[in-house]
Amino acid sequence: MTPSQTPQPSLQIDRYERGWMIAAIVLLATFALAVTVAGAAMGIQLPAPELRVNPQTVASEGPFAQPGVRELAPGRYEAYIMSQTWLFIPREIKIPKGSEITLYVTSKDVQHGFKLEGTNINMMVIPGQVSRLTFRAEKPGTYNFICHEYCGLGHAAMFGTLIVTE
Amino acid sequence: MTAITSTTAVPAAPVARPATYALSATEKRLVGLNVLVAVLALFIGSLFGPLQALEHARVDLYPLLQPLLKSYYQGLTLHGVLNALVWTTFFITGFFTLTIPFALRRPLAAPKLNWAGFIVQTLGLLTAAVPILLNQASVLYTFYPPLQAHFTFYVGLTLVVVGSWIQGYGFYITFYRWRKDNPGVRSPLMALGSVITMVLWQIATLGVAVEILTQLLPWSLGLLKGVDPQLNRTYFWFTGHPLVYFWLLPAYVSWYTMLPKQVDGKLFSDALARFAFWLFLFLSVPLGFHHQYVDPGVPPMWKYIHAILTYAVAFPSMLTAFTVIASLEVGGRARGGKGLFGWIPALPWRTPSVNHQLLAGILFFLGGIGGIVNASYNVNLVVHNTAWVPGHFHLTVASAVTLSFMGIAYWMVPHITGRTLWAPKLAVIQGWVWFVGMLIFATAQHRVGLLGAPRRTPLGQAPYVPASWQPWTFLTAIGGVILFVGVILFVVIILVTVLRKPAHPSQVPAIPEAEALQDPQLTPAWLDRWAPWLVATVALILIAYGPQLIYQIANMSNTSPGFNNIW
Amino acid sequence: MAGPESHSEGEFHPRGTVAVLVIFAVTLAVLWGSIYLILVSQGATMP
Repeated sequence: MTPSQTPQPSLQIDRYERGWMIAAIVLLATFALAVTVAGAAMGIQLPAPELRVNPQTVASEGPFAQPGVRELAPGRYEAYIMSQTWLFIPREIKIPKGSEITLYVTSKDVQHGFKLEGTNINMMVIPGQVSRLTFRAEKPGTYNFICHEYCGLGHAAMFGTLIVTE
Repeated sequence: MTAITSTTAVPAAPVARPATYALSATEKRLVGLNVLVAVLALFIGSLFGPLQALEHARVDLYPLLQPLLKSYYQGLTLHGVLNALVWTTFFITGFFTLTIPFALRRPLAAPKLNWAGFIVQTLGLLTAAVPILLNQASVLYTFYPPLQAHFTFYVGLTLVVVGSWIQGYGFYITFYRWRKDNPGVRSPLMALGSVITMVLWQIATLGVAVEILTQLLPWSLGLLKGVDPQLNRTYFWFTGHPLVYFWLLPAYVSWYTMLPKQVDGKLFSDALARFAFWLFLFLSVPLGFHHQYVDPGVPPMWKYIHAILTYAVAFPSMLTAFTVIASLEVGGRARGGKGLFGWIPALPWRTPSVNHQLLAGILFFLGGIGGIVNASYNVNLVVHNTAWVPGHFHLTVASAVTLSFMGIAYWMVPHITGRTLWAPKLAVIQGWVWFVGMLIFATAQHRVGLLGAPRRTPLGQAPYVPASWQPWTFLTAIGGVILFVGVILFVVIILVTVLRKPAHPSQVPAIPEAEALQDPQLTPAWLDRWAPWLVATVALILIAYGPQLIYQIANMSNTSPGFNNIW
Repeated sequence: MAGPESHSEGEFHPRGTVAVLVIFAVTLAVLWGSIYLILVSQGATMP
C-alpha cells in the first residue's frame, strides 16, 4: 500500500466487535438457509399470483359463482371459498382424512384474511385477487378457519370450519 | 493494512468547535410545541389501550362510551393513529429541532420553514381528527382500501406527512450550511443521525403519498369509481416498514450520542455508529414485501428478495447493539463496575432518563427476536396477522421507541422549560411500571398469537375462542391496565414539571452529548459523504421495487368501490 | 477467550458486552428455532 500525500484514515474495528459482526452475519445467513430449505425441500411455500377477478362480478360468474368443495380425484379436493362481510361461503367444509385439498379464496367486498388453525395455511384475501394454498389433512378433527383482517363491525364473528372425517 | 494510531496526524478542524450552544427562544418554543402535541396524542391514544385489552378478557367498556365512541374499531383507530403515528412523528420533529442546532452549534438556518412545517403538521392532525372522532374514518392506521374513510382523513394524513417534510427541509438547510462552512470536518454524529433519519422518512413516505394522491383521495372524492387494493398495499408497505426505522433511529441517536454521556461512558465507535446509520438509509425501504408475504398478488421471488434484504437490515441493529452496549460498559467500568457483568448494576439506574433507555434496550432484545421471526419468509405463515404481531410492535415502537422517548423527555422537557424534573424517583418507578406491564402484555399477545388468535379482533365477542386462549387474553388485560397506569404517571410527571416554578439555571439539566473514544476526525471520509450513499439507496430501491411497481401499476385494475358504512 | 491482553495499558476490551450478546444470540437462536419447528411440524402448503 503506497500512502498518498494526505493520509486518509482507514476503518478500524475493535476485534471483539469484528467477531460479533461475523457472528451476526453467520446467524442471519443460517436463518436464511433454513427458510430456503423449508420452502424448496419441504414445500412450505407462500401464496403466489393465481388469478385476477373483478370483485363486483366474481360472485355471479366464474368458479366463485358456486362456492364449495369438489372432489377432483379420489383423495384430491378443491374448495372455492367466497369471503364477504362477515362470513365465509361455504361455512363448513368436509373432507376425509388423508386427502389433499387446494383452497381458493377471494373477496367480493373488502379485505379479509384466512388462517386455518393447526396448519400453515395463512393468506390475505384481497378483492380482485384469488389466494391459493394446498395442504394434506392428516388428522381427523374440526378446525376453524378464521378471518384475521379487520373487515368491519362484524369481523370478530367471521369464521368457518373444516371437518376432517375418519 | 495501515493502522492509524493516535500519533497519526489528525486533519485539523479549521474552526474550533464551540463548547456548547444554547437553543434560541424560538427553537425552544418549537421543540416544546412539537413535544406538547406528541404527549397529548400519547395520552389520548393510550386511553383506548386498556379498553381493547380488557375487551379481550370479556370486560367490554365500550358500550359505556356510546355517546362518544361508537365501537371498538373507532377506539382502535384512535389508538393506532395517535400512538403509532402522531406521538412518534411530533416527538421526532421536536427532538431533532433540538439535536440539529445543538450538535452543529448554530441556529436553525430557516426557522420560518420549521414553523411552517409544524403548523402544517398540526393542521393535518386536526383535519384528520374530525372524521375519526365522528366515526367516519374507523379504518385503522393502515387504512386498507376498499374500506373508505371520509376524504378529510386522507387530506389530514397528507398534511401531517407534508408538514414533517417541511420541518425536514429546515433541518437539511441548516445541515448543508454547516457543511459548507466546515469543509473537511466530520459532521457531528448527533446531527448526521438526525438528518439521515429525516431523509429516510422523505424517501419512505413517497409510497403513501402516491397511494393517497393517486388512489384514495380521488376515490373518496368520487372522482375515481374504484381502486386496486393489492396495489395500495404495495404502496402502503413501501412506507410502512421504513416507518419503523423512522421511529427507531431517533432512539438510536440518543443511545449513540447522548446515553453514553449520561452513564459516564464514551461512544465506543464513531465510525461504526455512522456506518449503521448509513446502512439504515440504504436498506430500510426496499423490503416492504415482508409485510406482504401472504398477499396473493406479489410473486414469491420478490418476497424472497425482500426477505434477504430484511435480514440485511437486521445487521445494523445488531451492530448498534454491540456499539451501544460497549459504550455503556465503558461507563459502567468508569463507575467502578467489575467483572463480566458488574458494570451493569454500576450504571446509574436511578437516573430516570438512563433507567428508561436501558429498559427500552432490554425490551428491544425481545422485540428484535420477534422481528426476525416475522421477517423469516415462510416462518411468517405461523404468525402473520395473529396477536403475535401487536405483541411484537408493542416491544418495538411502544417499548424501544416510546420508553426511550419518555427517557429523553425527562431531561429535554426540563431543559427547554428551565425547570427541574418533578419526582425523579416516581419517574424511575414509572419506567418499571411500563416495563413490567409490557412484559406481561407482550408475552400474552405472542403466546395467544401462536395459538392462532387473530390480531385487530375484539376476541371478547368472537364465537371461536377456545379455553386455551383465555389465560392469555386475561393476561393481555392485566398488562394493558398496568401500561395504562404507566402512561398516566408519565403524563402527570411531565405536566407537573412544566407547571413548576422556573429553577435556577445551574439546576436545569444540560443536553447530554457523548464523546467518542476516538476522535471523529479519524473516521474514514466515506462514512461522512452523502452522494455515494444516496445514489446506492435510490439504486437499491429501483432494483428491489422497480419491476414489481411497474408491473402492478401497468396491470392496475380499479375495480373496488368504497365501503364506508360497515363499522 | 478472556486471557490477559498484551495491549498497551488503558486499552479497553468490551468483554462484558460480548457476554451479554452471546446470551442474546443464544436466546435468539433458541426462540427462532422453536418457531421454525412449529412451521415444519404444521406441514407443506404446496405438497
